[in-house]
Amino acid sequence: MLRVTANSETCAVSSLCVYRLPGVFDQDEDGLVVVLDETPSGEFHEEVRRAARGCPTKSIRVTED
Amino acid sequence: MSTQTPPRYPFAWTPPMQVPEALRHVHGSSAMEVTLPSGDVATLVTRYKDVRALFADKRLSRNIARPDCARISKDNDLFMDPEIDPDPPKHTQVRSLVTKAFTARRIEALRPYVQQVADELLDEMAAGPQPVELNEALAFPLPIKVICKLLGVPAEDRDQFRAYVDGFLSVTKLPPEEVGQCRQNLWKYLGDLIDAKREKPGDDLVSELIRVRDEEDNRLNDHELHFWCQGLLIAGYVTTASQIGTGTAVLLHHPELVRQIQEDWSLVPSTVEELLRTQIMGSSVGTMRYAVEDIPLSDGSVIKKGTSVLLSEEGANMDPEVFDNPFELDIRRQENHHMTFGAGIHYCVGAALARMELQVATESLLRRFPDIRLAAPAEELPRALGGFMEGFTEIPVEW
Repeated sequence: MLRVTANSETCAVSSLCVYRLPGVFDQDEDGLVVVLDETPSGEFHEEVRRAARGCPTKSIRVTED
Repeated sequence: MSTQTPPRYPFAWTPPMQVPEALRHVHGSSAMEVTLPSGDVATLVTRYKDVRALFADKRLSRNIARPDCARISKDNDLFMDPEIDPDPPKHTQVRSLVTKAFTARRIEALRPYVQQVADELLDEMAAGPQPVELNEALAFPLPIKVICKLLGVPAEDRDQFRAYVDGFLSVTKLPPEEVGQCRQNLWKYLGDLIDAKREKPGDDLVSELIRVRDEEDNRLNDHELHFWCQGLLIAGYVTTASQIGTGTAVLLHHPELVRQIQEDWSLVPSTVEELLRTQIMGSSVGTMRYAVEDIPLSDGSVIKKGTSVLLSEEGANMDPEVFDNPFELDIRRQENHHMTFGAGIHYCVGAALARMELQVATESLLRRFPDIRLAAPAEELPRALGGFMEGFTEIPVEW
């Protein structure tokens, strides 16, 4: 099971995650990250990991068990 | 410390189509000393791991208006303004006023407009004689029109403010009195614009920042309002324009890659990222920071408190620890988390806008002119010298 969370307090509004996975990530009115789907299905897992690695402020956290 | 003078920085782009040779030899340690155009010495951090970490490190201050901080230029106080606090918490407050204009939703809402402007410019190119100089035909007018729309600046003023901005970004190109004149003119131009917008607000970012200044206590003072409007105007087009022109020139130097894109347009976004990674249109002098504490690096060395530090985006982008075959232009590169827009709390506010403009410009140009090619030998394209930007100044193309 893969779970994704994000820290909107450290988000710098790069919008990279939203462009990469619009079904998993979104932005609030100020552009801060919002997670739409905390447990995305398997086909998205590699992209979720990439989004986490690519986040300029390391604001995306992925846990797997 | 050795008594030799450290190598000059920015590194020379010779030959012009290649990444500076010096970048092949910078990853043996985390950092090196370099000599800036001013003659001052700074520490250049070169490995991806360190660059990325230090972009997010509070022990590096962005406030470089300090007597013992290295200067980039002798003739121009680039990025120095003692009245502006570029560190948190003040920076965070101001930045959040601006970032909301650059969300993915807002950028995508602008895409049809950008496409329309690109199409008009390409129509003009198609109707005129060949060869065409790409900077003037597309690379500059496209982002200028877009940032003018976003900020509410009259696009007719562009010749005027372009000359001022050119002087504003001079490192060694202009004598100090001319730099000063350009800076004054630009400051006055923005001041007049703010006055006019205050009288007659529009649906634009400058009007919104004026509203915040006038209605929300202590969020933004007059000087900050003026400073950030100026910064947005400059950063809003100079960088993107240079990247459109110079990135396209590099791409056209690889006709086989152009063919591949034309057979599969889904390659455009990864091509844009790869050109951003390999072909930085300036150097990293704009990353100047000042160490307010000692900072250990990944190789065990330490940046001492009081050191002037540059974070080498181009060094990080060419780090073989992170990128396979870093000196190769691979338009299919998947994991391309380059440092061209920085990282951490100062990550380029306009990155998503720049990416969108680069994608539209690249795809539209290659669709409209399937046989487009450089109309001069690539080795002879001149690079800008003596300024903050280092892209090609003339890019003749034909089709």
